[in-house]
Amino acid sequence: MTDKATIQAGWEPRIAAFLCNWCSYAGADLAGVSRIQYPPNVRVIRVPCSGRINPLFVVKALQSGLDGVLVSGCHPGDCHYISGNLYARRKFALMKNLLEYVGIEPNRVHFSWVSAAEGIRFAQLLDGVIESVRELGPTTKMIKKLEAVQ
Amino acid sequence: MSYQEDVRREAAKLLDEKTVHLFIGYADSDLPLKTAAHAIRSSADADQLVWNPACTANLAALLPDLLKRPEGFRGEWEPPKVGILAKGCVSRSIVGLIKANQIPRDALTIVGIACDGMVSRHWVVDQLGTAELVDATIDGGKVSVRASDGTEKTFDLDEALAPNCRVCTHRAAVIHDVAIGEAAEMDVDEAARYESVRAFAEKALDDRWAAFEEEISRCIRCYACREACPNCYCNECFAEETEPKWIGVTTDLSDLMLFHLGRAFHQAGRCVDCGACVAACPQAIDLRLLNQKINHDVQTLYGGEVSVSLEQPEPLLQFRMEDDEGFMTDPG
Amino acid sequence: MTVLKASKSDLRKLLGAIAGEKRLIAPIADRTAVRFAEIADSAEICLEYRNPRMSARSALFPQSEVLLTFDGETATDARPEYRETVLFGVRPCDARAFTMLDRVFRWEGTDDPYYVGRREAATVVSLACNESGAACFCTSVGGAPHDETGSDVLAIDLGDDVLLRPVSERGETLLATFAPGMTEASEADLDRAAKFAEAAKAGQPDVAIPTDLEGLKKLFDSEVWEEFAMTCLGCGACTYSCPTCHCFDITDEEKRGVGYRVRSWDTCAFPLFTLHGSGHNPRPAKNARVRQRVLHKFLYCPENFEQVFCVGCGRCVTNCPTGIDIRKILGRVSQLVASG
Repeated sequence: MTDKATIQAGWEPRIAAFLCNWCSYAGADLAGVSRIQYPPNVRVIRVPCSGRINPLFVVKALQSGLDGVLVSGCHPGDCHYISGNLYARRKFALMKNLLEYVGIEPNRVHFSWVSAAEGIRFAQLLDGVIESVRELGPTTKMIKKLEAVQ
Repeated sequence: MSYQEDVRREAAKLLDEKTVHLFIGYADSDLPLKTAAHAIRSSADADQLVWNPACTANLAALLPDLLKRPEGFRGEWEPPKVGILAKGCVSRSIVGLIKANQIPRDALTIVGIACDGMVSRHWVVDQLGTAELVDATIDGGKVSVRASDGTEKTFDLDEALAPNCRVCTHRAAVIHDVAIGEAAEMDVDEAARYESVRAFAEKALDDRWAAFEEEISRCIRCYACREACPNCYCNECFAEETEPKWIGVTTDLSDLMLFHLGRAFHQAGRCVDCGACVAACPQAIDLRLLNQKINHDVQTLYGGEVSVSLEQPEPLLQFRMEDDEGFMTDPG
Repeated sequence: MTVLKASKSDLRKLLGAIAGEKRLIAPIADRTAVRFAEIADSAEICLEYRNPRMSARSALFPQSEVLLTFDGETATDARPEYRETVLFGVRPCDARAFTMLDRVFRWEGTDDPYYVGRREAATVVSLACNESGAACFCTSVGGAPHDETGSDVLAIDLGDDVLLRPVSERGETLLATFAPGMTEASEADLDRAAKFAEAAKAGQPDVAIPTDLEGLKKLFDSEVWEEFAMTCLGCGACTYSCPTCHCFDITDEEKRGVGYRVRSWDTCAFPLFTLHGSGHNPRPAKNARVRQRVLHKFLYCPENFEQVFCVGCGRCVTNCPTGIDIRKILGRVSQLVASG
């Protein structure tokens, strides 16, 4: 955990949220039109299905300097494409476990199910995710160094 | 048990009877404890083939390129008939490649061979300190070596066995047309098999990160691991794609990590723990650090053995409604 | 120039003094693998090795380096002030390789500022070989275990003592600055050193090097390359461990809105190396790439630089995952050239 004293004043966590079009993105949209507040620290990336998400997106996001990543899809059984989320579940279980195994803080990477009707749940989810990333401080472990070489 | 003569006899027979156009096995190199994949086209060359505890390559890696239609070829492509010497892990890789439609089963004559495990050259070299390995013989369960500083050492074959061979569960071919030898019964329990994963997971988070960083920082992006792996048959590897560009070609630590995390992840549900990647790595990086974790999770979470049956789809090509969700975030 | 003599412990003190003022790169034992590293404490320096697994090339030509950074409007040279550096423990083969890299990176009057900047800031203190390694063949390609080419100082290990022979003015200056008043080597010392040099030479095999360039050209379409290609994995282990290889790729990276132009080693062993934007690849098959590797070093570089670009360090032999032996390839090729 980064020493809070060393975090630059005014630092805000930046999260990328990969949301499936049919459920999670719609749920986020519902939160919006219902005026349910959640912190603005998230950039949403809409994908057709959580099964479309390449687990490398997650690692690449961390490499690019994002402090946290959220992937969210339809609840099992509700996938618009029938089973995309069920394949995704296996992929992400393995990827998340692998990242934690090599020492990436587990709270940097989150996976969840949010349906189109769950605007409140979406806001709660993001509250929790952003808070847990804020506690970890800025991402340091995977970012490119690209330093000048002697 | 040395089946070397049986291998040579079988290869010669298959070539003479024209059952196969070429036979893939192993040949000695001029260096101690190093063999290479070797293909012969005539029974007269059968004595170039060897079978010994330095046969670490996974021969299945040669198959996709050998059997696929050559670029620019027009007309009906008939793949050559290929004979291949398959120890357990190699046969499992063949199963994986057949299921992935990378090689046709009927082009192959698989000569299964019972394997007692391979010597880890990296381990042997490590025992010599900074001196070079000059000479090695393997005989009667012992590995005798001579180093450049004159020291001579002898090890039990058991001590020098590659870590993946220690926990091997398939010493005989799971698919074959001909079989050489009887494999010793393997009884490796799950606890022993994934002991290294458990031990590593017990370290503190930041200690794991430091260990991972240290191990991977030696990588020189030579891709020997990728070339040695039968599962790496992609025409364009993610590591070299520019549209999109997943990782840089640099030796920046993050690129090294992303390459290995990505490659290991691409093996999920397909890696048979043959150890060819570790054996090929010129920097002796313990790549199994990543692969074994994924193999452990695949087995624990989804069950079954990877690539032993032509009927079972690979674990990442299936799902169950009750698959584990312990890793997920539930806002409650 | 006078040859000096120091005890091993005095040598470490000398190197320690150098590390205090300049940047010192020397071999360390990283567990059991020996590699070059920046030294803080001279006690870290390893003196018991044949040759570090990877060559000293990266001290002057790192595997990845940022050339410049850019944003939407300006580009900024990313070169740091290259610090005065002493490279210690480089073997004569690697030192000789520096003179070959000099030809490439200073070709036809155009200086590569990154390489040349480091080169001009570097003083090479090589460590002569008293024994040849299992894969060494420097004597077959114009080198020698006690060769001075490319060195500023040649150190010779006599067991308890080390001789320090200045080779260039830069080397003399280094010794004068950091080892004033060091004893002179005696005739007996020099004699012992010469005997070591002879013994090391004797330990090497004679490798047939094809010198008939026209004959080599005729082998372009030969089937012999297919023989070697069969075993080759197509990885970059040989090229990346080679002290004279110098091919590179330039790519752009991005971090937080800033662009970074990076140079990284590249290898002719990869199919991607010659892949054109159109999709055409002039070296589509492995045999063409194996041929390229051999002919570049033994035909094209002799044509361009009157110099075979191989120093016989043997790393490609030791590091090859499948045990391909360049000495064998050269023997076969020489045979074919001779038979016309």
